[in-house]
Parts: sequence; C-alpha cells; structure tokens
Amino acid sequence: MKLWSTALWLLQKDLRLWLRDRTGMALGLLLPIALVTVFGMVMKFAFGGSGGMPKVELWVVDEDGSDASRKFVDALRDVGMLAVRPKAGDAPIAAAKARQQVLDGEAHHALIVQKGYGEALAAGKEPPLGMVRDPGRSMEAKLVGIGLMQATMAAGDGRSMPWLLASAMRRQGMSEQGIAGVRLGMDMVQKVVDRFASGGEPELRATGAQPGANFDMGALFADMVPVAREDVVPPERPKMLSYQLAQSVAGMTVMMLMFGLMACSSTLLQERDQGTLRRLLVSRAPRPALLLGKFLFCFTVGIVQLLILFTWGEVVFAVGAFRDPVTLVVLSITWAAAATTFGMLIAVWAKTQKQAEGLSTMLILVMAALGGCWFPLQVAELPLWASVITHSTLTHWAMTGYQGMFWSQKHFTDPLLLRTIAVQWGFVVVGAFAAWRIWRARYLAK
Amino acid sequence: MADSLLAIDRLCYRHGDRQAVREATLVCQRGEILGLLGPNGAGKTTLLSCVAGLLAGFTGAMAFGGTPFRPAHDATARARMGLVPQDLAVYEELTARENLRFFGAMQGVARSSLDAAVARGLALAGLDDRADDRVASFSGGMKRRLNLAIGDLHEPELLLLDEPTVGVDPQSRNHLFDSLLALRQRGRTLIYTSHYMEEVQRLCDRIAVMNDGQIVAVGTAAELAVHAGIAGADLEQVFLKMTGRSLRDQA
Repeated sequence: MKLWSTALWLLQKDLRLWLRDRTGMALGLLLPIALVTVFGMVMKFAFGGSGGMPKVELWVVDEDGSDASRKFVDALRDVGMLAVRPKAGDAPIAAAKARQQVLDGEAHHALIVQKGYGEALAAGKEPPLGMVRDPGRSMEAKLVGIGLMQATMAAGDGRSMPWLLASAMRRQGMSEQGIAGVRLGMDMVQKVVDRFASGGEPELRATGAQPGANFDMGALFADMVPVAREDVVPPERPKMLSYQLAQSVAGMTVMMLMFGLMACSSTLLQERDQGTLRRLLVSRAPRPALLLGKFLFCFTVGIVQLLILFTWGEVVFAVGAFRDPVTLVVLSITWAAAATTFGMLIAVWAKTQKQAEGLSTMLILVMAALGGCWFPLQVAELPLWASVITHSTLTHWAMTGYQGMFWSQKHFTDPLLLRTIAVQWGFVVVGAFAAWRIWRARYLAK
Repeated sequence: MADSLLAIDRLCYRHGDRQAVREATLVCQRGEILGLLGPNGAGKTTLLSCVAGLLAGFTGAMAFGGTPFRPAHDATARARMGLVPQDLAVYEELTARENLRFFGAMQGVARSSLDAAVARGLALAGLDDRADDRVASFSGGMKRRLNLAIGDLHEPELLLLDEPTVGVDPQSRNHLFDSLLALRQRGRTLIYTSHYMEEVQRLCDRIAVMNDGQIVAVGTAAELAVHAGIAGADLEQVFLKMTGRSLRDQA
C-alpha cells in the first residue's frame, strides 16, 4: 500500500471527525478570533497616542477658573500623548479628591491649576501650578512633563517663554539680577515673535510666506531642536496600522495556532487510548504513513485557522494581510508546518493526554512571551543571553516573518524573511525526524 | 505439517525483567477455530501481539503457510491476518459505513472493491439498517459486531480474536458466534481468546491452555480433560486443574 494514499486516507478520516464535532471545531476557531479581537482592540486604543505611544492619564483641577486657565486646560487636552481627566463636559473634581485618587492608586498624576494662575500669567510671572503624583510612575512623569511644556507654550502664544526661562534659571541658582537680564532679552525676543505671529510686519516674513499662516507655538517648541526629518514608510502599509496592532494580530495568530495544533496532534494519543492505533499498526498500512497522515491533518487545520484569522484581522483591523498573498501563503505554510511539527513532537513524547496538555501549555506560553507574541521584543534592546533565548524560540522566527510582512512590507524573497523561513523549515526537518524516531521507539514493534 | 497455517516454534518474549512467553510452541491448522485459554498474565495477549506484528523482539520462529513469518517488519505478511482487539477500536463519531471504508482502505482493499467489502462487513455485523448512523449511538453489542466486521474486512486467512464478546448481551453474543462459525465455513482460520469457558467449548475445535508464559496443553476439550487426569470433567474444572486456583493479578 502506498505511503501517500494511506496518509491521505488518514487525513480524510481525521478531517471528517474534526468537522463532525462542530462545537469543538467552532470553539477551536472562535477562541483565537476572540483573542485576536480583544488584544487588537486593546493595542489599538491603549497605544493610540502620539506616534504609537500609550496615552498618559492626567487629572486636572482648575481652581482658578479664569479664561487663561481654561485655555491652558484646553491646550492640555490637545496634547496627543495626554488623556486629560475629567473628560471635557464631565463634572470637575476638587484638589482633595484628586489627591485622594493618587493616594488610592486610581490616578498617578493630578495637576492643580491654582488660584491666581490667570493673573500671574498676565503679569508675566510664574503661574501657580501644583502636581500631585505617584513618584513610582517615572515614565509617565517624563511624558507629563513634555505635555505640560507643549500646552504651556501653546496656551501662552509664546508669552510663557520669559517666565519659563526665568523660573528654570532661578532653579539653577541664578541671581535675581541675572534673571532680570535674561527677562530683558527674552522680552525683546517676545516682541519680535509677537509681531511675526500677528502677521502685521511684512519685513519679518520670508519671501512668499503668508502672514501668520499656521503659526502654532506648541508645535514650535515641540520641534525646537532642528532635525532634518525624513519619514520612511513602506508605501503600501495601511495608514491606520500601528506597530502594536500589527504585532498583536500576528502574535495572537502565531500563539493560537500552536494551541490549535496541539489539540489536533493529541488525536494521536486518542488513537492509542481508544485502541484504533493498535488496529492501524497491525494493518497493511505503511507505518510511516500513520504519522504522515496525522501531520497532514494538523497542517491542514492549521492552514484553515491561519486563513480565518488573517481574514478576520483584515476585515476588523485592516492590517493589510492580503497585500502580498504569495508572501502570506509562504509564511503561513512555513509556520503551519513548524507548529505542526512541534505539536507532533509533544504528542509522540507524551505518555498521557495530561502530560501533553501540561507540557504544551507551558512551552507555548513561554515561547509566546519570549518570541514576542505578547509584546514586541523584536524591537527591544536585549542583553546577549536574553537575545539568544528569544532567538531559540520558534515563535520568534514566526513573528519576525509576519511582522516583516505586515509592518516592513517585505516580500518573502527578502533576506530577513528568507532567514526566518529557513530556520522554521530546519526545525521541521529535524523535528519530524526526531518525532519519527520517538514514535518508532514508543509505538512500533519492540 | 501439510495443513498448518500458523506454526509457532519455541517463541520467547521478555517484557523487561519478566519472561512473558516461554518457549511457546503451537500449530494452528488451516480452517480451524483454535481457542487460547489462560489466566490473566498468562501471556496470551503477548503471544497474539507477536503473531499480529505488534511485537518484534522475540526469539524463536514463526511460519505462515509454511514460510518464515516476521509480521512486525512485513506489511504484506500482516495483510494475511486480521485482528479483532479487546478494545472497541472504532471511531465513535464516524458512521458504521465510514469506519468500514476507512479500515478497509488501511487494510489495502482496493477502491474498486471497497464498497463490496463494506457491504459484506455490514452484513456480517448485522448493521445494514444502521450503516449511516454514528457508532456513538450504538449499543455495546452493535459496537462489538462492528469491531469483528472491521477485523475481517480484507478477508484475512487468519483472524485473531482477543476476547471479542466482553460486555455484550446474549443476543449479540449469539450473533457473534454465528458470524464466527460462518467465517470458519468460508475457510477462515481463527484464534480465539476468552475467559468464558462455555464460549470456548462451544466454538473451538481445539484449545490451547497457557499458564505462566507456557503452552501447557493443546487438544479438544475432551483430550484436555484426559490430559489433566479428570476425564469427563467440564472445561472450567480442567482449566483450574491445569492453571491452579491462586489469583492472578499480574497485568
């Protein structure tokens, strides 16, 4: 009897069994879709801040209630990296409540715009601002600091510059006489800037520039350091796609495929437990075909699962999965083969279903975390030992491949993608050989 | 021996430190039903596994139809036998017809002959009217009958039956007996293991008794009784005389 025809009979039988248990099949397919959706939504909203940075929550209490303080709060709301609370239209909170929220851990930064803010600003003095904060949130503190700077400059139309500088120099230990000198120079600068911003002085404008066109003081200071920017974006990358979203869809897909295929592979153990393996082993079927048939079944289910997940990712998140179908197919066949091999290795090694479930759950979760399925470790600067560990996981190579396609818009002929494909197929060859040897030692005639 | 189908000569098999089969010598005649009796742990299943090709590391020799026989390494040799295991080795979520088709294909039945083989199997199992029902909906007796039909799908010369009537009602047991006798009439040779003495006495032409890995006696029930020195006794008494009354809990 032929190897392949036997394997195809096994594939047909297992597919029939798989399709017959509709609840099990639906759960197997829906669970990954649900996880991809949840993680995708989380990434989309959590990292929807400026440039893919997470938005930092800042509670604001306006005790002054002046036009200037309201303008300042509005400017804070316009800062992309900040999520100002209470939201516009919600009831304001008192300073004591904000302080309590920080104490309770419900908030980490609360800005108190104190009484006299507007008057101080009008007088060109340092306005009274207070920050209640959790000192452990140092990362958020830096982002809040940058957001405050942007909002202050935007709300003050540049008039904040003199007092900001004076305040900074005072903190550095400059005498009041020195500060007065700084302020004198800054006042002169301020006047020139005001005249330019108002658009009334043609001699201050460059040739062809429109009077006062798009003058944005906040943006001016956000980009103060002169850097010649060059935005390099693959032309076909969807505009709405963020790195985190692409990473999330690919990561969940890679991880869930392993879980799905593990369940498929365990049908080998079921065959043993229900006695059908014994019957197959005494049949005329070539024994390698029994393992090959299982491989084909798991592989087929894997391809179906990948197709469904990427279609879902495309429909719901517009990740551009089908921009390059050839690369998608090559990467998916590769990953389905590698994940199937992994599942088969566990299935032939395990003596019981419990062993298989326990070991595979542990390995899959560890590989998912180390391989970057949950968080984008590919872009992280890792020490050598950690880098070696992550590179030794199958998931790392699958993720690098998919992210190369989704984010960097690479074709499968790109050296990076070819490397990921080669590593995975290398595992398939070595893993399949090992699985056959283990299976032969465990199940075939002794 | 001209009529012998299977000849086992001084076969030994060791499971780790335990000698499971010791110098077993047995000849199964073509067209007979040979009963294989023995207490738990006597070595019956190990001996059948060697014959079926599930175990290879034995010493001694086997011949099938007069030619040396190593079924563990020879798929063609395995195709000359069928196994009806003690487990209900069927796919519960497939129908009877689908099970028969699949195992028929695994046994190397050609596609062109598969439908006929399936029809024959359904008739043997008495399941023509339930052919397209899932096995999960079958009674224990129906599953046992299907189990037997699957083993015989490719019409093997030798059918190995490992306690095929465990847990079935009298009606199904009777159907199974009739089926086995019909197979013998068609020229099939059967090796039948069971713990039910009356079954063995009713079905088998000859009986081999195994104890502690050895074949201790072979013959008709009457011959065994004479051999045991209790002529005229029933098979159970003969069996207990030959194998002792102590409990055998070894797997």
